Amino acid sequence: MPEPSEFDTALKPTWCPGCGNFGMFTALKAALAELGWEKSGFAVFWGIGCHGNGADFYDVAGFHALHGRALPAATGFALTRPDMRTIVIAGDGDGYGLGLGHFVHSLRRNVEMTCITHNNQIYGLTTGQASPTTEHLMRTPSTPAGVLEEPVNPVGLALASGATFVARGFSGDVAHLTGLYTQALQHKGFALIDVFQPCVTWNKLNTHPWFRERVYKLEESGHDASDRQAAFELSMSTFHDMTCTPEECRVPIGVFFAEEGRPTYQDGLSQLDRPMWKHAQAPRDVAAMVEELG
Amino acid sequence: MQHAAFGTSAEVRIRLGGPAGFGIKAAGQTLARSFVRAGLSTFDLTEYPSLIKGGHNTYHLRVSPDELFSHVEPTDVLVALDRATVDLHLAELTDGAALVYDPATVDVSDLAPEGLCLVAVPFDDIVKEAGGAKIMRNVAALGAVLGHMDFPIEHLAESLRAQFAHKEPQVAEQNVAVATGGWEHARRNACEFPHTLAPIEGAPKRILVDGNEAVGLGALAAGIGFYAAYPMTPASSLLHFMATRAEKAGVIVKHPEDEIAAMNMVVGAAFGGTRAMCATSGGGFSLMVEALGLAGASESAVVVGLFTRPGPATGLPTWTEQSDLRFAIHAAQGEFPRVVLAPGDRADAFELTWRAFNLADVLQTPVILLGDTYLSDNRQSVTPFDTASVQVERGELQVEGDVEGYLRYKVTESGISPRVLPGVEGAQQIVNSYEHDERGWGSLGEDASTRAAQNEKRMRKLELARTIVPPARRYGPQEAEVSVICFGTTKQPVREAMRKLAAEGLAVNMLQVVTVWPFPADEVAAFLRGAKRTVCIEGNLTGQLQGLVREQCLMDVDESLRRFDGRPFSPEQVEMKLRGVAGRA
Ligand SMILES: Cc1ncc(C[n+]2csc(CCOP(=O)(O)OP(=O)(O)O)c2C)c(N)n1
Ligand code: SF4
Repeated sequence: MPEPSEFDTALKPTWCPGCGNFGMFTALKAALAELGWEKSGFAVFWGIGCHGNGADFYDVAGFHALHGRALPAATGFALTRPDMRTIVIAGDGDGYGLGLGHFVHSLRRNVEMTCITHNNQIYGLTTGQASPTTEHLMRTPSTPAGVLEEPVNPVGLALASGATFVARGFSGDVAHLTGLYTQALQHKGFALIDVFQPCVTWNKLNTHPWFRERVYKLEESGHDASDRQAAFELSMSTFHDMTCTPEECRVPIGVFFAEEGRPTYQDGLSQLDRPMWKHAQAPRDVAAMVEELG
Repeated sequence: MQHAAFGTSAEVRIRLGGPAGFGIKAAGQTLARSFVRAGLSTFDLTEYPSLIKGGHNTYHLRVSPDELFSHVEPTDVLVALDRATVDLHLAELTDGAALVYDPATVDVSDLAPEGLCLVAVPFDDIVKEAGGAKIMRNVAALGAVLGHMDFPIEHLAESLRAQFAHKEPQVAEQNVAVATGGWEHARRNACEFPHTLAPIEGAPKRILVDGNEAVGLGALAAGIGFYAAYPMTPASSLLHFMATRAEKAGVIVKHPEDEIAAMNMVVGAAFGGTRAMCATSGGGFSLMVEALGLAGASESAVVVGLFTRPGPATGLPTWTEQSDLRFAIHAAQGEFPRVVLAPGDRADAFELTWRAFNLADVLQTPVILLGDTYLSDNRQSVTPFDTASVQVERGELQVEGDVEGYLRYKVTESGISPRVLPGVEGAQQIVNSYEHDERGWGSLGEDASTRAAQNEKRMRKLELARTIVPPARRYGPQEAEVSVICFGTTKQPVREAMRKLAAEGLAVNMLQVVTVWPFPADEVAAFLRGAKRTVCIEGNLTGQLQGLVREQCLMDVDESLRRFDGRPFSPEQVEMKLRGVAGRA
């Protein structure tokens, strides 16, 4: 069984001290180690942003793809390599901005893969502009008068798009997050974990203390994760007013919804009986197909 | 001055015309298939607006005992399913031509039939008599065409039986009865048909294929494992072709949310070692551009079909043009090596497609197949593709074994780095859209010398590409009065014009630039230097190929012929230009 440290490369993470990305990095390595995943058995796809810079720090087979496009790149891989597992690491700007269409379609496709979104509610790498999950009316360099849009609700959107596994984590609780990762990584279908990951440099509203005062765990609250409707209501009731006081608003973390047994996209592909590269070991015989055109 | 027509006197040109939604293309293809079964050669041209119902659709079919290179303008038999067809195409009718129509629906009483044979056939009555459905009127028309030509009905009957083989037997028999009804009716017609086209017994087998089918077969032969595409004319039929064969052939075919997803999926599949391709037209390609650069930066082996229709923006969806040459060559920011291949006909399309996969793998970079609507949409009878000649070359791809010292982006003399399949133990490294070091690390790619080394390493692959890409093709005699340079499907009407002019004593030769990038500057320059009078013929407004000749060869051609009205060049138009260039108008 691999140790978490075996997933480190020679490069030390360059995130700002105190950044929530560290907790997510630790939790994912711990989950991979706990599950005993061999490095040859999976591939990781990153979007572009501070989250994506993690590509250099994990010793895994991976693809540091385009901003917003990690999901489709990963889908091409997942649909052709049934012998390997697929992990996507996205950002909130990346995955819920440019990549929002791919997000919805990946969910309704139920492609078997795990998608971890570093949701810091801000554009980290490009110096703090508003992201699709930035709080309404928050001031940022690109919205000096405040954001005029309501934030995207990733959990609610996922549930409405037919998600079969939706969880929310907090990078400040690594042990809890590790538990969510291990569940998600074993899910047969598309698993989303939206993780609140404070950006200590640019987001002065949704900080570590802000979350610590508000998060509570769903597994301790009696939430039934097999109830999509309950999960959906929970996602709506807690999402939209986060400027409230800790007494007024509580932020649930944990598994909102999990459903096993729904066919995955891959299940529908009877031809996916081998890694698809094997079809190119020699020319395919198309003589009969050519003949048919006579 | 009036010049002789194209083709021998045995050749026949048939046009079917009518409102969209009348199944005109399908009917025409049935007719083409029956001629091919009879041992003849065909070339068809479908023209239709971007509408499902309404609007004017036509299908033009050229049939000959000789090999055909392109369509031609005139028509010998016009089948008019509406009056608009008559008015739109009357001028192109040859002496002794026939107009086949149903007097119950098309009134031609105002026409003076001098030199025109009116073949009135009650399509609907014939269909009713056979107890068929109204849509079968097309089949009655096909029968009538053959009857008037004095051509046997049996090949059409065979063709109909094959087409309806999967339905209840009475469907095929009804169709045959309707065709025979039309055939018999037209044979009663008194006027003489001036062409004598007859079946050729024991002719070598030919297949009837359009460009998209040829590309699809080439991709399948090459061992494709993943095809993704978002529908866009004229590439959509390739998606359908692949989708219907996916399960049996073992290919994953995905119609995703948009072309951005399609191209990124293809890059992801290629990362997994799978031979992967997408195809689209200019609009979709515009959306793919960033991921095309991703393939260049990450050194991913992908094949992209760019089948041009007139642009910009939505343009003319169902018409043809060659205006994406520069786009294909320059698309995406930054600099990276790419290969752009431009098939000129269906045989080219098959061969260049399977070769594209080999080039992509050997060079670890994107290869673009640059086609157009004229290629994608129209069928030509050709010698069955040489499937035995297909080879699979996967280059440096290592799928198992020892990976000691593996560096995905190792700086090498050839520019080609080792590539180990993800999943091979010990080979886990990062493939990167960021500039990167040899190990794939983006943060180390910022070093100035590393950046320069990786950039140069990648571009060295273009020099290697020059030595392995398909060469330009030369047609015609070594010595000629006029020398043509062109790319893509323009080759077809040019060949047709060359053949006619050669028979009339005007020698023309032609260089088809097959690999348009890297541009074969030496071959083009040598061709131009050895020429008397030169002309560049291309289907765009600004002379994109001619511009490349100037830029890459520091030479120019004497004249140019360009077409940009959405229509393909006709051999008649090319012939006139070539006569002009030769000073023999
Ligand atoms: C097509 C494109 N547009 C813009 C950018 C610039 N860009 C890089 S990262 C980024 C946003 C980063 O925010 P987020 O996705 O939330 O990631 P974070 O840095 O917060 O982890 C942007 C806009 C890009 N790389 N590509
Ligand atoms: S900018 Fe924000 S998200 Fe990026 S590393 Fe720094 S703290 Fe983390």
